[in-house]
Amino acid sequence: MAATNPSSKVGQDLTRAADVLQTMQAHGDLSHPIPLSPNIPPAAFLASGLQGSKLKQFDESTNVSRKGSQAPTPPQSVKGIGKKVAKPDYSESKIVLAMVGLPARGKSYLSNKLMIYLKWLEYDVKVFNVGQLRRTRARQRAQESGVKEDHSAIFFSQDNAEGTLSRDRLAEDSLEMLIKWLKDGGNVGIHDATNSTRARRAKIEARVAKEPEMMLIFLESLCDDPAVIAANIALKVSSGDPDYKDLHPEKAKADFIRRIHEYEKVYETITEPHLSYLRITNVGKEVTVSRINGYLSSRIAFYLMNLHLNPRSIYLSRHGESQYNVEGKLGGDSLLSPRGMEYARALPALIKDNVGDAQLTVWTSTLRRTIQTAELLDFTKLTWKSLDELDAGVCDGMTYEEIEQAYPDDFANRDEDKFNYRYRGGESYRDVVVRLEPVIMELERQENILIIGHQAILRCLYAYFHHLSQDDLPYIKIPLHTVIKLTPKAYGCDEERYALPITAVDTHRPKPKVAQPVVQPSTTRQYFTEPSSI
Amino acid sequence: MLANNSDHFFSPPMVAPLYTTDSGLLFHAGKILIVTVGLPARGKTHISRALERYLRWMGVKTEVVSLGDYRRKTLGGAQRLPSDYFTLGEKTDETKALRMKVSNGCEDLIWEFFTGGGQVVIYDANNGTRAARQALATKFDKAGIHVIMLESLCDNQEIIERNIRSVKISSPDYRSWDPDKAVEDYYGRIRDHEKYYEPVEETTWPFIRIINASWRKDHGQQHSRLPSIPDSFLPHEHPQPIPNNILRSSASGQSLIEHSYKADSDLSPAGWEYAERLKDFVQERRAKQGLLDRKLVIWTSTRRRAHHTAWPFISAAQASATPSSPPVSPTSPLTMTTDLPTDRSAPPLNVKVMEKPQMAEINPGVWDGLSPEQARKYYPSDWEGFTKDPYTFRAPRAESYHDLGVRIEPILIELEREREDLLIIGHASVIRCLLAYLIGLPASEIPAIEIARGDLLEVVPASYGVHSTAFHFWDGPGRLGEGGAEGRDESNFYENYAEDTRGKTLRRIVPVQVIESVLPPTTERST
Repeated sequence: MAATNPSSKVGQDLTRAADVLQTMQAHGDLSHPIPLSPNIPPAAFLASGLQGSKLKQFDESTNVSRKGSQAPTPPQSVKGIGKKVAKPDYSESKIVLAMVGLPARGKSYLSNKLMIYLKWLEYDVKVFNVGQLRRTRARQRAQESGVKEDHSAIFFSQDNAEGTLSRDRLAEDSLEMLIKWLKDGGNVGIHDATNSTRARRAKIEARVAKEPEMMLIFLESLCDDPAVIAANIALKVSSGDPDYKDLHPEKAKADFIRRIHEYEKVYETITEPHLSYLRITNVGKEVTVSRINGYLSSRIAFYLMNLHLNPRSIYLSRHGESQYNVEGKLGGDSLLSPRGMEYARALPALIKDNVGDAQLTVWTSTLRRTIQTAELLDFTKLTWKSLDELDAGVCDGMTYEEIEQAYPDDFANRDEDKFNYRYRGGESYRDVVVRLEPVIMELERQENILIIGHQAILRCLYAYFHHLSQDDLPYIKIPLHTVIKLTPKAYGCDEERYALPITAVDTHRPKPKVAQPVVQPSTTRQYFTEPSSI
Repeated sequence: MLANNSDHFFSPPMVAPLYTTDSGLLFHAGKILIVTVGLPARGKTHISRALERYLRWMGVKTEVVSLGDYRRKTLGGAQRLPSDYFTLGEKTDETKALRMKVSNGCEDLIWEFFTGGGQVVIYDANNGTRAARQALATKFDKAGIHVIMLESLCDNQEIIERNIRSVKISSPDYRSWDPDKAVEDYYGRIRDHEKYYEPVEETTWPFIRIINASWRKDHGQQHSRLPSIPDSFLPHEHPQPIPNNILRSSASGQSLIEHSYKADSDLSPAGWEYAERLKDFVQERRAKQGLLDRKLVIWTSTRRRAHHTAWPFISAAQASATPSSPPVSPTSPLTMTTDLPTDRSAPPLNVKVMEKPQMAEINPGVWDGLSPEQARKYYPSDWEGFTKDPYTFRAPRAESYHDLGVRIEPILIELEREREDLLIIGHASVIRCLLAYLIGLPASEIPAIEIARGDLLEVVPASYGVHSTAFHFWDGPGRLGEGGAEGRDESNFYENYAEDTRGKTLRRIVPVQVIESVLPPTTERST
C-alpha cells in the first residue's frame, strides 16, 4: 500500500463521513442521532441511541420471509444478538494411541503435549500411564500391608518372572481401562507404556481388533541423542519421582539407567509392516508415518511433527489501550489512545531487556491497534488474519451497557456460557479456538515469538499453554499493558508477567455471581492416577 | 485529533503478512527443492502432482520437474532409446551421455524456475543412489535452497502392480504394446533399479518417507498424509438464495441489513423451496448410483442460511426413522443419524450434518452491507486496489481471498480424509476456493471462478485429478443474480461481495461454466 500521510488520511475519512451523513439524510435515516466516526461504516448495527432498533427491524423482516415458507417444520430461528451453540459431535472418533519406546525417551512428554492440544480442540483425551498405575497400586498395597514393594531395576528385569508377570498385568489392566473409557465416550486414549516388544504390541493389536469402532495407532519415540536422554534422566531423577523418593540422586540415576538397560535387552523397534504407526526420532528430527488413516490421526501426526525441544519463550501482549477500550466499545478497528501509544513506546525496551540478542519474531493481527503497538519494535514483524479479535458480529462497536439494555436476555445468556455463545454474524470462543489451531501449529514449530494480540485471542492461546478448561478460558485475566512471558517446560509452562506502569481501562468482565476460577498453572509431572481409575 | 503529534496517526502498515515476504515468496520458508526418491511405480508422480496442486492453491509458486516427461520430450519414447538406457549396469558411452543430458536438462529447468521467482520445485525422478542425491542436494543447498528428500517406499505388490497397470503402461513409452508385455517390461525396468537402489538413510537432509502410497485411494492401504482424493461421491453445492435477492425491492432500510454479512439472515421462502429441491435431487442422484444405503455427510458453514439448507435432509432422516415424531431443532444435537430399519422400500436416510466455522463466507469488512456504488464512493482507494487484484486485496477489516484460503486450509485436509459421501453446502466464495483446489487452479484465479446458483457440482477423483460435473436442479429467484445475466452492470462485480455467483475479475476466466437458464432442469453436463 502506498504511503499515505496522516493528514490526507484524516481528510479522506472526513470526506467519507460527510458523504455518509449526506446519504443518510437523503434517505431519512437521520431521525435518530447517529454517532459518527471514520471507522463506522453506514451499515453498522449500532445500538447506541437506537436501542437496537435496526436488529429488531431485521428480526421482523425475517418473520415476513418465513411466513410463506414451504418448509414443513422450520428450524427455530434466532432473534437478537446471538445464541449458544452446541459442541461439535466427535463421538465417532475413537483412537487407541499406544506409545512405544524405552524409558526416558520422552513418551510421557509427547502424550502430555498431545493430550493438551487435543483437549484444547475439545476432543476427550486421557492418558493411561502404566507407571502411574503401578505406583498407585503399590502405594495402596503398602498402605494396606505396610510392606513397601521393590520397584528398583530388578523389578524391570526380563529375568524377574514375577516382575514381568506383574508388569504385563499392569499394562493389560490399563489397556482395559482405556478401552472402557473410550466406550464411555472418550475420543483418544493414550496408552503410555513402553510396549517395547513385538509380542506386547501384537497383544494390544488383538485386543483392540475386538472393538470395531476403534482405531489403533502406535507412537514410537526413539532417541539416540545422548544429550536428550541425559536431560530426560536428570529430569526423572530430580523431579520427585516417588520410585526414587528416598534415594541419593546418583544412586537413583544409576538405578534408572539399569532399568533402561533391562528394557534395551528386549527392545524391538516397530518393523511390523501392517501396523499403523508414527515414529518420532530425537523429538521431531525424523518422523516416520505409516498407515495413518483418517482425519484426526493425520492431525495428530502433523502436530507431533511440529514439536521441538529447543528452549524458547513465547511473549503475549495485548495491544496498547485503544480508543474503543476507553469508550468501552467492543471490536472495531480503532487506533491507540494516548496511553496506548505510551505503551507502544515503552514496549521495545522491555522486550529488549528480556530477549537480549536472541532472535525474536513479532506477530500481530491485521487490526490497526496491534500493528500500531508493534510499530517501534525492531524485529521482524508478521501479520496474521487469524489473530484478529473475536468477531462480535452485530455487537461490534456497541458497549456492554448498550447490549445489556437492548438485549437483556441475550446478555444474560452469554454470561452464563461464554465459551459456547456465538454472536450473530460473529464468532464464539469455540470458533476462535478452531481458527487459532493453525496458529498453535505454527507456534509449536517456531522459537521466540512475541504476539501482540487481543483479549479473546490471547485467552485462547494462554489456555492452550496452561492447559485450562473451556469453562475457564473466557475469564482468563489478560490485562492491558502487560507482557506475559511463557517458557515451555517438559510438563507445562513457566510464566512471568511484566506489567508496565501505564494505566489503562480494565476490560475484564468477571463471570457474574460465580467464584472466579483459580488458575493454577502446573509444571509438575503427575505420578499417581486419580483414585477413581485404579 | 489534529496532525501535530504524528504518533497519534496511523501510518500505513509496515508489517508483512505472515504468508508473504518482500521477495514475493510465501510463508517465510524460503525456496525449497523437494527431491523425490523411490523405485519406479511407487507413486512418486502422484504425490508430486498432489503436492503441487495443494501448494499452488495456497498461492505458492510451485512446479514439478519430471525427469520422465523431460526425457520423453527431448529424446522421445522408450523405443527410440538405446537398449541399455534403463539397465543400470555397464553402459555405453552413448547412453551415459544421453542420461547426463537428461539430468542436466532437468537441473537447468529447476534453476530456471527458481531464478524466475519460483518457490518450490518438486523434482520427480528416481534419485535412487545416495551419491547422486548428495551431489544434487549439495549443489542447491549451496545456493541457499532448502533441500528435502521425499522417499516413497512400497512393499505391497498389489499397489505396485496397480500403479503399473493404471498409469505406467498408458505412458507414451508403451504406446501400442500388449498390456501384459508392457507390464513385464516395466517390471524389468524396476528390477534393474532395485539392484542399485539405496533407501534414504543419510540424515544430511530433512527427509519424508511415505510407505505404501497409492495413486488411487484404497481403503486399507492409504498411508501418506499427502492429499489423496476420496473416491466417494463428492458433490459440491452452491449457495442458497438469500433474502436480499427477493426482498431488496422493499424498504431500503431492510435490504441494507438483509444482505449484510453480520445479519446472518435466514432462508427466504424461495430458499426453503430450494433446500427441499436440493434434498430431492441429491437423493434421486444417489438412488441412480445405488448409493442410498450409504451414509451421507453434509458440511455447512455456521451461517443460518447454510445449515438451514441442510434442514430438509435432517427432517427426512428423522421422518424415515420414526415417521411420527416431529423433527427437533438442528442445533441440538447438531447431528441426526438414523440407521434404524423401517418397513419402507427405500433405506432410511443416514445423514450427519456438521457445521464448520471455517466455512463462513468471505468477510466483507467495512464494505458489509454497502452497495457497490457506496463502496466505491466511500472507499475509493480500497475499491481500486480490489479491482486491480481481487485475490490478494484486503479491504479494511475484510478478508482477502488469500485470507479465506488460509482459513479454509484445514477443511481441505479434512476433506481429503473424509471417507463418507460428502455434500458441501457452502457460500460462493468458499466453493470457489474448494473448487479451485479440487480442479487444480492457481490461487490467483480463485476470485474469477463462476458459480451458478441452482447447480449441484459433483466432483469425483480421476487418475491425476478430478472429474467434475454440474447438474442443474433449480430455477428460482436469484439463480443468476439480480435481474438475470443481461440486466447486470458489467463493471459491477461487487454486488454482494461474499455471495456473488459471478467471478470477480475483469479478465473473464470461466472454468466452471454458468449453465444457461434455457436448459431444462437436471440436464447433465460435463465441464
